Amino acid sequence: MEVKQYAEDALTVTLANEVDEAVNASLVQIKEIILNQDFKGVTDIVLSYTSLIIYFDILTADKNKIIDVLENIDLSDLSSFEPSYKVVEIPVYYGGKFGPDISRFKEKGLSEEEVIEMHSNKEYLVYMLGFMPGFPYLGGLDEKLYMARLDSPRKSIPAGSVGIGGQQTGMYPFQSPGGWNLLGRTPIPLYDKNRDQAILYEAGDRIIYRAIDEKEYYDIEEAYKNGDYQVTVELRGDSDGN
Amino acid sequence: MAIKIIQAGLFTTVQDLGRKGYESYGFSPAGAMDYKAHTLANSLVGNDSKEATLEMTLRGIEFLVTSKTTMATAGADMELTINDVPYPIGKAIDLNEGDKVVFGGVKNGARTYLAFNGGIDLERELDSYATHTRSGIGGYKGRALKAKDVLKIVGGPADGLLKEVVKEDSEPTEIRFIFGQQKNRFDKENIEKFISEEYTFTKDSDRMGARLEGEPIVAQEGHDILSEPTQFGSIQIPKNGQPIILLADRQTAGGYTKIGTVIKVDLPVIAQKKPGEKIIFRAVSIEEAENLYKESLQELDEEKDLIASNDFKTVRRIDAMSVSTLIGG
Repeated sequence: MEVKQYAEDALTVTLANEVDEAVNASLVQIKEIILNQDFKGVTDIVLSYTSLIIYFDILTADKNKIIDVLENIDLSDLSSFEPSYKVVEIPVYYGGKFGPDISRFKEKGLSEEEVIEMHSNKEYLVYMLGFMPGFPYLGGLDEKLYMARLDSPRKSIPAGSVGIGGQQTGMYPFQSPGGWNLLGRTPIPLYDKNRDQAILYEAGDRIIYRAIDEKEYYDIEEAYKNGDYQVTVELRGDSDGN
Repeated sequence: MAIKIIQAGLFTTVQDLGRKGYESYGFSPAGAMDYKAHTLANSLVGNDSKEATLEMTLRGIEFLVTSKTTMATAGADMELTINDVPYPIGKAIDLNEGDKVVFGGVKNGARTYLAFNGGIDLERELDSYATHTRSGIGGYKGRALKAKDVLKIVGGPADGLLKEVVKEDSEPTEIRFIFGQQKNRFDKENIEKFISEEYTFTKDSDRMGARLEGEPIVAQEGHDILSEPTQFGSIQIPKNGQPIILLADRQTAGGYTKIGTVIKVDLPVIAQKKPGEKIIFRAVSIEEAENLYKESLQELDEEKDLIASNDFKTVRRIDAMSVSTLIGG
């Protein structure tokens, strides 16, 4: 573990230099350890593929205390803990007008049904969030579904779009330009400021896409608006990290 | 109490000190580009630095006052008239119903902050007033102001006479930084180049990043990295070798090499640069950067107390205040 400082109000903890599920699990646990210490002045802990950043208030936080705790973490010990995480189910209407690029996979010999089958009902690990609020960098996409980005990016991709860009799959919580292949769309707002969890998932959680048909898409959209739809979230592991 | 926007200026947004604690969800903190000027403008009307201000860029707003209040400005020097009478930036000024307040172009710097007594009456989104226009979050409807917008103001006229902020006249060209995550990707020759050459602000600069132009910097083993968190002030070196300083509205993760991070106290200097202006980078230690930042925050706090307690200088406008208020203070 390497602890460095690249800003007055942030400590960067680096564990590795490659993307790895086990590294993510260790980072999630380090985050929990720091959060459990209830340090004064810690404002946010941000995970990425190989490192995490602890942001703090320079006037109230004791940086050296945080460094002490970090340096006393036994990395080999971390693997014996099972971190807690959420499995968030995102309903997706694949194909049709929301998934114009699903037919591109025909050139790989995959029918629409096969793409849907391979993409849904599978747990993807959220390595980190970034690019835009709530945009998950997911791991676990089936190699057969790797698909180069579009030659010319779309000027506007609607919020809720689910797609594949190169070796990654993910979804757009906000409308944005982008070059990803669009597979479908979810009727659930991925960002809802009035929801308990404005963003439903964070680094270390899992996302599972469930295929729905057009009717279900509009039913869920309507139910959500009326406050009658609960997003399915399963909590795994113990909440205090044991 | 409210103001009615007649002209919205070039790019005017509601800001505070930023949306802290949501970067782990991918939210850019946004917030004032110049934390010092934002805080001073608030202090001048007796507000806490957490209150929202309007950040005006290069050309300011015109508005109509619908009821008595007090406003204050800080930051870039900008033309300002109230009912065609010129007033200076850096002061608290009383406003009366029917006043027409017109901010013009900047004379020096790039961003002027406008605070109102009691703050602007808006709801916080994820604990902050900061506008992030790219995701349409916070501030006034998640966007830059437009003509005909009406902003509610919390307070009426401020109590007591208010002080002015003395503006530093010097415009530093030296920007201090600490070395960044990928320092090792840059050899001696390129680091030497980075700290000795001048870099010019281009017109592609915005709240997301300052795009500079100058001698290209070359990274060993390529300019791409695995996406990792960025910071306010991170100096990215992309493939074309031209530095980009990531600012308030930056994406929270990025995949370019970072040679350094601009120190916090010099971020307001960056915020006040216009296209065509030049800077030179100088490396400092993290300890020096920390001390300077702590001092700066403490100074801002002391200045606030001073403003709150002192015999104030100006600007009670006779046309805005009744005679008894003027005498009674």
